[in-house]
Amino acid sequence: MQRNTHDALSTQVGRRSFLKMAAVAGAFGATSAFASAGATRAATEEEVKDPFPGSKKIKTVCTSCSVGCGIIAEVQNGVWVRQEVAQDHPISHGGHCSKGADMIDMVRSNVRLKYPMKKVNGAWKRISWDTALDEIASKLKNLRGESPESTIFLGSAKMSTEQAYYFRKFAAMYGTNNIDHQARI
Amino acid sequence: MTNHLGDIQNAKAIIIFGANPAVNHPVGFGHFLKAKERNNAQIIVVDPRFTKTAAKADYYAQIRPGTDIPFMYGMLHLIFKNGWYKKDFVKNRVYGMEDVMKEAKKWTPEKTAEVTGVPADKIIQIATVYAKSTPGTLVWAMGLTQHSIGSSNTRMAPILQLALGNMGEEGGGTNILRGHDNVQGATDMCCLSHTLPGYYGLSDGSWKYFAKSWGVDYDWLTKRFKEKKWMNTKGFTLARWYAGVLAGKAGEDAIHNGGTNLKALFVMGNGITSIAQTAKVKEALDNLELIVLADPFVNEAAVLTDKKDGVYILPAATQFETSGSVTATNRSAQWRSKVVEPMYESKTDHDIMFEMAKRLGFYDELTRGMLLKVDPKTSELKQVKKTFKWPEDATNEIARIIKTIGLTGWTAERLKKHQENWHLFDEVSLRGIGPMKGEYYGLPWPVWTETHSGSPVLYDIHRPVAEGGMGFRNRFGLEHDGVNLLAGETSAPADSKVPGGYPEITAKNIESVLGITLTEDEKKRIGKNWKVDISGIIAQKCMEAGIAPYGNAKARAKVWTFPDPIPMHREPIHSPRPDLVKEYPTYKDKPNHYRVDTQYASKQGEKDWSKEFPINLITGRLVNMNGAGVETRASKYLAALSPEMFADINPNLAANLGIRDGDMIWIHSPDGTKIKVKAHFSYSVAEDRIFLPMHFAGHFQGEDLSDKYPEGTRPYAVGESANTVTNYGYDIITQIPETKGGLCRIEKAKEV
Repeated sequence: MQRNTHDALSTQVGRRSFLKMAAVAGAFGATSAFASAGATRAATEEEVKDPFPGSKKIKTVCTSCSVGCGIIAEVQNGVWVRQEVAQDHPISHGGHCSKGADMIDMVRSNVRLKYPMKKVNGAWKRISWDTALDEIASKLKNLRGESPESTIFLGSAKMSTEQAYYFRKFAAMYGTNNIDHQARI
Repeated sequence: MTNHLGDIQNAKAIIIFGANPAVNHPVGFGHFLKAKERNNAQIIVVDPRFTKTAAKADYYAQIRPGTDIPFMYGMLHLIFKNGWYKKDFVKNRVYGMEDVMKEAKKWTPEKTAEVTGVPADKIIQIATVYAKSTPGTLVWAMGLTQHSIGSSNTRMAPILQLALGNMGEEGGGTNILRGHDNVQGATDMCCLSHTLPGYYGLSDGSWKYFAKSWGVDYDWLTKRFKEKKWMNTKGFTLARWYAGVLAGKAGEDAIHNGGTNLKALFVMGNGITSIAQTAKVKEALDNLELIVLADPFVNEAAVLTDKKDGVYILPAATQFETSGSVTATNRSAQWRSKVVEPMYESKTDHDIMFEMAKRLGFYDELTRGMLLKVDPKTSELKQVKKTFKWPEDATNEIARIIKTIGLTGWTAERLKKHQENWHLFDEVSLRGIGPMKGEYYGLPWPVWTETHSGSPVLYDIHRPVAEGGMGFRNRFGLEHDGVNLLAGETSAPADSKVPGGYPEITAKNIESVLGITLTEDEKKRIGKNWKVDISGIIAQKCMEAGIAPYGNAKARAKVWTFPDPIPMHREPIHSPRPDLVKEYPTYKDKPNHYRVDTQYASKQGEKDWSKEFPINLITGRLVNMNGAGVETRASKYLAALSPEMFADINPNLAANLGIRDGDMIWIHSPDGTKIKVKAHFSYSVAEDRIFLPMHFAGHFQGEDLSDKYPEGTRPYAVGESANTVTNYGYDIITQIPETKGGLCRIEKAKEV
C-alpha cells in the first residue's frame, strides 16, 4: 500500500499539490503550467478573501461511513464549489478522512452517469427517462402478472431513511418480500 | 451500537473483535484514541490481521479466522474461575448464564490456544486486563459477523459484556461499527426480506397494522401478493438472490419460491460485487430477463454480465442532491440538507420509485401515508392534506408508525433543529445545552414521545426512562421452563414506579402494572399494546411512571429457539483444521433458508478442503475506499491511492511459493473460481493466510472488462473482485456470507 501510494503521488499531480499550485497561480497571477500567458490576471484582495461571492454554506452529513461527520458545503449559483469540515460538529469536531474530504469530488466526478441507457444487442444506447421507465414498467407488469415472486429488489444503505422506508413499502405493494440490502453482508 | 462514539472516551478498556476503525471509521477512531490519552484506556485488538487499529493497541492477539467464540469462552473461563464476573448483575438481569458457565469450563487457556492460535499466556493477559478495567467497551464489525457462525459470534460478545456487568454503563456496551452511512437507518426501515419497517415481523398482525397506517385496505394489500401465505414468508436475501435465478441448473441449490425462478432484478444503490460468489452472481445476471440498475455511477452488474438486452442503467442522484435523515452507527438521526440539484439527468431514488409506482398503478396507495395524521382527540387516522412534501411528510409518517424502536420523537422539525444546533451538544455525553437542554444529539432511539430526550446508552438503569433509561426488553414471554424472565429486584431504571422487572405494556395490563386508572375516553382510544398504540397513551403514561413501554426483562444468554441455544464453536465450512472439523463440525444442512436449500455439513464434509486449498482467505477495507468501491473508485484522487487490486501476503509464504513482491499471482477458490492480482508483501498477515481488499470490480477471472463500461463511465480504478474467490458458506440464522474465513490456493502467474 505505502509503495502504491508513493508511486501514485510522485508520478501524478496529487490533489493537494494541485490546489496549492492553483492557489499560487490565483494569488500572484503567475504564468502557470496550465494557462497561456495573458489569460490570467492577479486576483484582487477581495477575490482572495471571498473567491465565491454570494455563495451559501449548507450544513450536511458525509455519505461515506456510519460515523456521520458534519460537512459544510459551499454552493454558488447552484454549483458545489467548496467543501469545508464542520469544526463544531459533536461527533466529527472538524475531522474528515480521505473519503469524507472527497465528497465534493464524488458528486462532481466526470464518470457519473449522465442519462438513462439500455443495452441493445450488446451495445449501450442512450434513452429518455420516459422510454426507460415505460419499458421497465411494462416488463415488470408482465412478470408481476405471472408472479410477483419472480422479482427481487435490492435497496441500499446509501439511501436516506425516508427512501429506505419507501423502498420497503414499494416492494410490499408490488407484492413480494424479495427485498434486501447491504445489512445482510 | 448500544452506546455511542463519544461515550467510548469513558471506557477504561476497549476490546475490538474483527473491526478496523483506524481505517474504516477514522474520525470515529479519534474517540478511541482520546480514551487512551485522557482515560488511560487499554486498547485490545483481536484480529486475524495486524491492522492499523492493532498498531495503536496495547494488546494484540492474532486469532485464526472464525475462532472468536473459543477466544471469548477462553476469557470467560478465567472470568468465572476467578470470580471476576458481576454476580448481582448476572442474577438480576441475565437469563441462562449457567449454561454459558458450563461451556466456559471446557475452554482452558491451553485448549483455547490450540483452537485460536493465540498463545495461552496472551489469553490470560488479555482476559485479566479486560476484566479488571471496567467499564470496558466491546467493539465489532464485519470480522465477527461474516461467518457461518456469525449470529453466534454476535451473541457471544454481549454475553461477555453481560458477565462483566458492562451493559447499560457509560464507557461499556456492545458497540458495533456500521459500514455505510445509513446501514442503521436502512436496517431500521427494514429493507430486509424477513421484516417490515421497525422490525415488525411478517405476521398478519403486523401487515394489518401497516395496511391501516398506510391508509390502504388490508385485502387490497393481500391481493397484491401471489397468495396470502407469501406475505408471511421470508424472501430471498442479498446474500443468495442468485440462487433464485440459477435453481434448476445442475449442481445448484433448490429453491422454494412458489414455482418460479427470479426473473427480474431491480437494484437501487447496491454494488453487485459486495457479496460472495461473484461468478455465480455473473451467471445469475446472464440468466435474468430484466436488470434495472439505479446508481450515481455504473453498477458493475452492467459490466459483469454478458446479457445483450434487457439491461437498464438509470442515473440516480447522490444524497447531496436531495434531503432527508440518516441514522449514524449510534442510532442518532441527522438531517441532511440538499447541497445541489440532481446533476445531469439524474433523479432522486424516491422520484424513481414514484415514477415506477405511477406506471405500475399503485402511486396513490404508496404515497397516501404522507397525507395522514392521527387526530389527537379521537386517536383515529385522518387525511389532513391533498399533496405531500418530501421528505418531511415521509419523516413524520415514519415517526407516526414505528413504535418498536421508539421513533415517535423523530419528527422532521426536531431533527432539523438538531442539525441547526449541532454546536450545542457535548461530545462525550451528547447532552444538549441552551435551547437543546434535555435532549441528546440526534435523539438516539428509542425516543418514546415527541418530547423525549433520546437514549444515548441502551439498557442504562441509572437514568430515568424519560431521560433515556431502560432495562432489557421483555420480548419472549414472562417465564421459560419455570424460570422468571423478568428482571430482578433493584434493576428498574431510576425513578421507576415499579422496583424490579415488569412485562411489556398492553392495554390490558397498563392499569395494574403502572398502578393507574384510565378514563373511559382513554380506554376507548388506547391501542392493543405499546407496538401498535397510535394514540400515544401507553408511551405517555409510561413516561409519567418511569416505565419503559417494552418492559424490563432479563437479557437472554440462552436462546431456546436457535440451533445452538448458547453460542458454540463450529469450524468454518472451509476450515484449515480438519482435526478440529471433527471435534467442532458445522450445522446440518438447512432446507428452505430464506427460500434456498443451504449446505452446511454436506459442503464441509465433501472432502478435506485444506489439502488442496491450504491458505486462509480474509477480506477487508482500505482507508480510501468504501463498500464495493463503486463511488470511491469513481474518484480520481481516491482511486490514485490504490490504483490496482492486490493481495497482502506474508513474505515467508510468498518466498516458499517463489513469489516476489509485485508479482502477479492467481488465487484459486474451492468453488473452482480464480482471480489474478498483484502480490503485496506484508507482515500484517500471518504465514497461513492472505488478505484481499474488497473494493474492486471490473476484472473477472483474469479478464479486463474495461471495454464493457458505457463510454465515459469507467471508474478510475478497476480490478478483480475479492468476492470472486470468497467461498460458499452462510450464517445459519441471518444468511450473511462467510467471507471472513475461507480457503484458497495461490500460485505465481506465468509471465505473458
